[in-house]
Amino acid sequence: MKWSLSWGLPWILPIAALGFWILVGAFNWLPSYLLPPPLEVAQTGFVYIFGTPGEAPYAGRFLSDAIASLYRVCLGFLLASVLGLVLGILSGRVSRVRQMLGTSVNGLRAVPGITWLPLAMVWFGIGLKTTVFLVAMAAFFPIYLNAADGAARVSPTLLQAGAMMGVDRIRGTFAILLPAAMPSIVTGLRLGLGISWAYLVLGELSGVPDGLGAVIMDARMLGRIDMIVVGICLIAIMGRITDLMLKAGLKFCFKSAARMT
Amino acid sequence: MLSDNPAPVLDIQRLSKGFKGNGTQLTVLKDLDFKVMPGELICILGRSGCGKSTLLKLLAGFILPCLGQILFKGSPIKSPGPDRCVVFQEDALFPWLTVEENIGFGLKGKKITRAEKQKQVDRFLDLVGLSDFRNYLPKEISGGMKQRVALARVLVLNPEILLMDEPFAALDAQTREKMQDLLLSLWETLGHTIVFVTHDVREAVALSCRTMVMNKMPGPLLETVAIDLERPRSEENEKFTAYTGRLKALVSTS
Repeated sequence: MKWSLSWGLPWILPIAALGFWILVGAFNWLPSYLLPPPLEVAQTGFVYIFGTPGEAPYAGRFLSDAIASLYRVCLGFLLASVLGLVLGILSGRVSRVRQMLGTSVNGLRAVPGITWLPLAMVWFGIGLKTTVFLVAMAAFFPIYLNAADGAARVSPTLLQAGAMMGVDRIRGTFAILLPAAMPSIVTGLRLGLGISWAYLVLGELSGVPDGLGAVIMDARMLGRIDMIVVGICLIAIMGRITDLMLKAGLKFCFKSAARMT
Repeated sequence: MLSDNPAPVLDIQRLSKGFKGNGTQLTVLKDLDFKVMPGELICILGRSGCGKSTLLKLLAGFILPCLGQILFKGSPIKSPGPDRCVVFQEDALFPWLTVEENIGFGLKGKKITRAEKQKQVDRFLDLVGLSDFRNYLPKEISGGMKQRVALARVLVLNPEILLMDEPFAALDAQTREKMQDLLLSLWETLGHTIVFVTHDVREAVALSCRTMVMNKMPGPLLETVAIDLERPRSEENEKFTAYTGRLKALVSTS
């Protein structure tokens, strides 16, 4: 009973939403040019994913779009992770670094990510670099802030315990500090990855030829609402899958992530 | 019980420690003088706030004295190290490591073979009676078991001195008594020097060769009481009661 419940619970909301959507179509509560019925969207999605290129607009483009988008997300997220983790943990532990970075980081954090778009377009042109820049810019802050907070709140007793057992600074960092801060680090990385997808679409809306965001923007201009909905659903699915993969990957690599989160 | 070598393991000389806070200087310890001999089990007894935990941190090397010095086998203590191991009051185990991994943690950097390390870990798992719980995480075991792990993970390093900061204070009475018995049996088997901080008069009498009652700050140690009782000690013993009475009187006047 408990087993089936825990497997069923995550699907209750999506299924209810789908049911409501079917009702909207069936009773014509909304005209289909505002919200196409699920069946039409499913057909569009099928053609988009499995169709042969050229047989219809958007047919068979999914794989190349998904790869392009994934590549941009991963690159930006990786950049943000490296910078965010290193600077975050340093500023969580070293008060000089915290004093130096705190004001600037929190000042920049107050700037909405979208305002970087015009500047990025001037700097990097339209395409990969702009998107990666936006993704990295947005994902950096949650990763940095959570890593800093996690590192700062590591119990001093754990570090003292290490010191009295003869652990040096380097081993202390990797064997005590990082594992102890791991729950916060995982939270930061997951938030960062989620935001990465949001800013990916923003970057791709600016006129790149491929990618899930580009497809959505293109479909809007052609009035293909069904394609927009397909794009939204696919981004939701890919966002969820990459989040699960990130979580599983961290748990696989780090005992601390597996046992404390 | 003392060996023929009369040199003290710890020689505390005119030790003073204060902290700065809000522009005022707060003196916690002033002009402490005492020695600890090899193999001795001494208790430092005092109310909370008397500076006994500060003293233990000084002995461990977590903080340094303002004045005076602490000689460990003849040389001053400058930093923490595995020859002076600490058992903390609670929650000092690494929560992401199993019981076994926690006990093996300090051996990681040592230049001994993997098999030898495993042998040591197994020996101490057995000594503290946790062999069946080796694969449990700290959050899955009881408070008493956690303190047994804390004890085993430092004993495995074979420290010269064991510094214990009210290690059983957070346990229920029954578990505390069991832990005291375990500590005594380990002390009798392994013969470490132990400095044990407590606020529990009964605990001090049950464990120590000598109990030092600490004065409220700032002040010197008030009095050292040698606990001349045969082991195993029983609370029903008249002399036991006499000692607890005497220590109680010393603590309440201090």
